[in-house]
Amino acid sequence: MNNRRTAAREFVHGMTALILAMFLLGVSSGLGVIKNIVDIWGALLSVPEYPAVVMREFYQSWRSWSHDKSFLSSEVKRLRSENAELRLELAKVSGSKIYSEDRSQKTARVTLRAPMSWWSEIRIDRGSQDNIAQGQAVFSSGYLIGRVSTVSRMSSWAELITSSSFMIPAVIDQTRELGVIAGDGNGSVLLKYIPAGRGVRSGMKVSTAMIGDQLPPGLPIGKIAGEFIAGTDGYMTYRIEPGADISSFYTVEY
Amino acid sequence: MTLIILWLIQDLLTVFTGGTMQVPGLFMLGLVFRLLFCEIGNDDESVWAVWLAFAGGLLWDLRWIGIPGFFTLGYVIVVLIVIQVWGIIPPHGRASGTGLIVFLLLECSQLIPPLLPLLILGGSTGGSYFVWQQTYSLPAILFTMYLYFKKVKDTNL
Repeated sequence: MNNRRTAAREFVHGMTALILAMFLLGVSSGLGVIKNIVDIWGALLSVPEYPAVVMREFYQSWRSWSHDKSFLSSEVKRLRSENAELRLELAKVSGSKIYSEDRSQKTARVTLRAPMSWWSEIRIDRGSQDNIAQGQAVFSSGYLIGRVSTVSRMSSWAELITSSSFMIPAVIDQTRELGVIAGDGNGSVLLKYIPAGRGVRSGMKVSTAMIGDQLPPGLPIGKIAGEFIAGTDGYMTYRIEPGADISSFYTVEY
Repeated sequence: MTLIILWLIQDLLTVFTGGTMQVPGLFMLGLVFRLLFCEIGNDDESVWAVWLAFAGGLLWDLRWIGIPGFFTLGYVIVVLIVIQVWGIIPPHGRASGTGLIVFLLLECSQLIPPLLPLLILGGSTGGSYFVWQQTYSLPAILFTMYLYFKKVKDTNL
């Protein structure tokens, strides 16, 4: 009996609530007083909601900061790239020598220089975690001595300019003659394909040329030590005296 | 008191998300959870549940919809469904083999209330909100199911 009475009460209360809710839904949109009630209720809730508002603002400001940082970082990268291109164009027009502004003075230690490949490659104790990238220039005493050939997380291998497989475009600073720097695998560095009779003399400085995008132009390599071979095809090969001591160095800059 | 706290948490979560997403209906999950343990047809609590749902829905409408009735109606419908369905199952049979029914009743509490404003007001934005809310609600439903069966086991119902 009690169960049936409670069930009946459930039904009556349920139906009453249902009808009341539908009534509210039907009439409340047209009642101006609802707006006032909504405002009052919102004002009352603003007190317990305050921590959530603070947290939301903190989260939004953090997101905004993070987004701005990311945007600025990409913008700096874009502007650097644009600046490098403009400097290249400027160098082309004026024929002046330029140095890469990105050259840093970070130092890496030579951890391996195998006797079998003494003039070809070295291993350094800096890798991708130190922002070393493949193709990056490696210096000693401020002069180019090679470029990074393979990169792992904590170390890298660099190919030396004395390696027989090392070839990069170079320019004689005083005459602006273009040639190719190549190693012979036995400790010598050569400047090839310089047209004969262009007034090239010993002591003229040689640096990287702005041909190709692997190395920036203007990186000093050394100076012309003397004529090596006068080719029959009208081109000369010059021996280069590297600015750095290639035979003995324990650290490099990158 | 638990239901007030759940309502407030639901409200705070909505404030935190800035209204950009529908948060799980914690208040209704709590109410349905309580209903599952009251004796339908032999307990005044089920009657109270109707009016608690009405009040909770009305306050939610006043806070977030601006037009009373949408969630009020939805919450009341959910409670009536739970009372009817749960009342059919004999009390001694509720503890075993009712996992699917418990899930469906809890799912009802998350599905019906936000569905009404969507059906009446429409809008593609509301549709995506609804879908996301259902996705976010699923972990809450599963957690409530876990609590339900844990309590059933602990109390040897």
